[in-house]
Amino acid sequence: MKLTINGIAHEVAEQPPRMLLWVLRDELGLTGTKFGCGIGVCGACTVHLDGMAARSCQTLVGQASEKAITTIEGLADGDSLHPVQQAFLEGQVPQCGWCMSGQMMTAAAFLATNANPSDAEITEAMGYNYCRCATYVRIRRAVVRAAAIAASPKEAA
Amino acid sequence: MSEQPPRRWRVTRRGFLIGAGLLGGGLALGATLGVTVGLPALHLAIANGLDGAGPPASFTTDPQLWFELTPEGRVRVAVPKVEMGQGVHTALAQIAADELELSWEQIEVVQSGSLGPVIDEGGTSASNSVSSLFTPLRETAATLRELLRAEAAARLGVAPTALSVAAGAFFVTTDPSRSVGYGALAEGAAAREAPSAPPLLKPASAWTIIGTSVPRVDLPAKIRGTAIYGYDARTEGMLYGAIARPPTLGATLRSAAPGSAASMPGVVAVVAEPEFAGAVAESRSAAYAAVGAMELEWAEQAPIQQEQIEALVQAAPGRGVVIQREGDVGAALRGATIISAEYRTPMAAHAHLEPQAALVDVRPDRVIAYVSTQSPMFAAQAIASALGREPQTVELHPTYLGGAFGRRIGADAAVEAARLSAAARRPVHVGWTRSEEFRNGYVRPPTHHVLRATLGPGGRITAIEHSQASGNVLLSVLPQLLRIAFGADFGAWRGARISYAVPNITTTAELADLPIATGAWRGLGLMANLFAVESFIDELAHAAGVDSVEFRVINAGDDLRGQRMRAVLASVAERSGWGSAAPQGRARGVACSIDANTAAAHVAEVSLKPEGGIRVHKIWAAVDPGLPINPDGVVAQTEGNITMGLSSVLFERLTVRDGRVAAGNFDAYPLLTMRDAPEIDVAVLRSGDVPYGVGEPPMGPIAAAVANAVFALTGKRLRELPLSVA
Repeated sequence: MKLTINGIAHEVAEQPPRMLLWVLRDELGLTGTKFGCGIGVCGACTVHLDGMAARSCQTLVGQASEKAITTIEGLADGDSLHPVQQAFLEGQVPQCGWCMSGQMMTAAAFLATNANPSDAEITEAMGYNYCRCATYVRIRRAVVRAAAIAASPKEAA
Repeated sequence: MSEQPPRRWRVTRRGFLIGAGLLGGGLALGATLGVTVGLPALHLAIANGLDGAGPPASFTTDPQLWFELTPEGRVRVAVPKVEMGQGVHTALAQIAADELELSWEQIEVVQSGSLGPVIDEGGTSASNSVSSLFTPLRETAATLRELLRAEAAARLGVAPTALSVAAGAFFVTTDPSRSVGYGALAEGAAAREAPSAPPLLKPASAWTIIGTSVPRVDLPAKIRGTAIYGYDARTEGMLYGAIARPPTLGATLRSAAPGSAASMPGVVAVVAEPEFAGAVAESRSAAYAAVGAMELEWAEQAPIQQEQIEALVQAAPGRGVVIQREGDVGAALRGATIISAEYRTPMAAHAHLEPQAALVDVRPDRVIAYVSTQSPMFAAQAIASALGREPQTVELHPTYLGGAFGRRIGADAAVEAARLSAAARRPVHVGWTRSEEFRNGYVRPPTHHVLRATLGPGGRITAIEHSQASGNVLLSVLPQLLRIAFGADFGAWRGARISYAVPNITTTAELADLPIATGAWRGLGLMANLFAVESFIDELAHAAGVDSVEFRVINAGDDLRGQRMRAVLASVAERSGWGSAAPQGRARGVACSIDANTAAAHVAEVSLKPEGGIRVHKIWAAVDPGLPINPDGVVAQTEGNITMGLSSVLFERLTVRDGRVAAGNFDAYPLLTMRDAPEIDVAVLRSGDVPYGVGEPPMGPIAAAVANAVFALTGKRLRELPLSVA
């Protein structure tokens, strides 16, 4: 079965049925996507399927085979960080960092559909991703900042 | 693993170690790490360093290789502390770079492992990393700087005192065009003797990197998803392991047999030993399936219930070990009007988002391990002990940690992976599931607190008595002799002692022996004890008819600690508009603490949600860690401590049902999310030139600040966590 991940085609076994998260991490070595709960609650495993945020621990690999899969490793455009990554770095958001791939992938997919979100919309979009270091105030600030960077790339210092 | 070139070592005066010939003309320098850490750190070192059999571990007296200077003039600083999000790599590099007179770009951090370059038996815990290493790191850096100065003076033909230094280069003060960089001095300096007198350290007024918010060194990799944690460790030919877990608390393996596991697809090895059973396979799912197919018989106890645990945690005056005594509380309370209250806190999960993980490769002559651990030395020793090997043959590399909060001071996954790797003769990765994490670790112990006090004139507390009971925090990892020596669990009583200047104080700690494993959780007893003490202080303030901030100011001591508590209180009072009316439907509460020598005060502004529950709108915080090495790092730790603490204050309660932890995953144990995360306004105060910890102390006052705000709003005193207004 073919998987297109960050623009690169990978061939993986079709059987047995298994979750995309573990194919990414254990079979393909793309460990930027993290495991946290395995039941789709914590959001650490969030990736993009055709640009939509998806929890890879709940996504059977077969469901992803026809789609463009983007992981944290493919969020940046080469050396040029995605506005969300720029904002998370500039705001010094991560602490331990384990949840951050999921946070950034969630934020990037959200901002792609809502370029100028309200505070309440940010809370709703980001309110289902756990951060045990509890960096939520910085995540919120960084999502606002990422929207500004995306709107005006010159803003990226 | 890159092979290091052989080094030639000389021990010079003052025990410094100089290595020459590495990297073609570089210089390495280290010093022995003396026992300059305080007693709490030593306690933890003991707790972390023991495997339950031997004598207390001590800090090593082996030479420590702190610095490597390359011919290009870059300096690598080896840090023995692990990065779990607290920013310690950055803070330690700042201290080193400043003393070495480097520009920030010239230094890089290397994580030390169990075989060095810097050995640290103490592990990373108790908010002591920066405070314990501040002086030894600077002294070693200054020694290297002065060695280089001597070489530069010889090279430039001037007296050492005629030189100035900046950005990794010496220059003649009166003729800056004559200069030489560190890189060019490395080889010559390596042949020199370390200065015989301790070098002069830079005065605080000359610091240029200490005290600035340089960006964290670990974040670029974390932003790109390339940072490697224990769960991410990979190596050629690795396999995956799974372990048979007891079905109920306290159950032990009676017998184990492979059953059909060995013939299942992808299974490489099945281990069925007394008290340890597991399987190794080509995938995680195959390994877990194999364990499921093993024939296991468990000896189970009568199933434990939540009520049994709570009944065992009972504090009462006169019970337990006295951990603080001033004056005579008994006499002061006799015949007086006594105010009393009881508080309880529940068990809680650590819920670090990266479950326990280790990759271990057991080879005939050595062991290579990559582990998410707070205690690299302890984990290496535990692996050696489990395999019957010498600790010096275990090369343990701590990875980045996906949170820890006290749950990575053990060596669970590391030992499991080692045993399975030894059986499979291949590298084995063990990564726990969330359910294993909830049901097979240890939890924050439940606590119970009884407080009594009497008031005198002028809003002064005449006598106060805090009797607390808690499950184990650290004693369970100590050998029997030390348990007896300590009497009470010094971890459990962190934050329990009264830090106000009251003439009569008694604080006692009672250790409850529980049928569930409990242990260290961020701050140890700090949040629980301060929830009780600082809520009770608020009760006393109301009884005295004195404003809650003013009451604390009146009762704080006149010594430096008291002054620092007053300063953080003044900061939050001013910024929160304390004393003015809160917005309609809201109220404010205050609490403060001094822990690990860091003072903290929080004001919380709360309302009640229309749908039920408490909404925390905003926290004003003030933190005085002595000297903030990286002010933004202090802000980040304060925000994190407050918000993680709020998860406990508002939501978390871990229970046991029918012999096991009721929650097996986050669906049954929700954490706080952005939906309940308040706005936070942090002021970082500097009160001196010595840094204290920030990884835990700011969590201290948060529970009481919120509970006190709820009282101000509703008139209802909530004395149990999580707070419930229902």
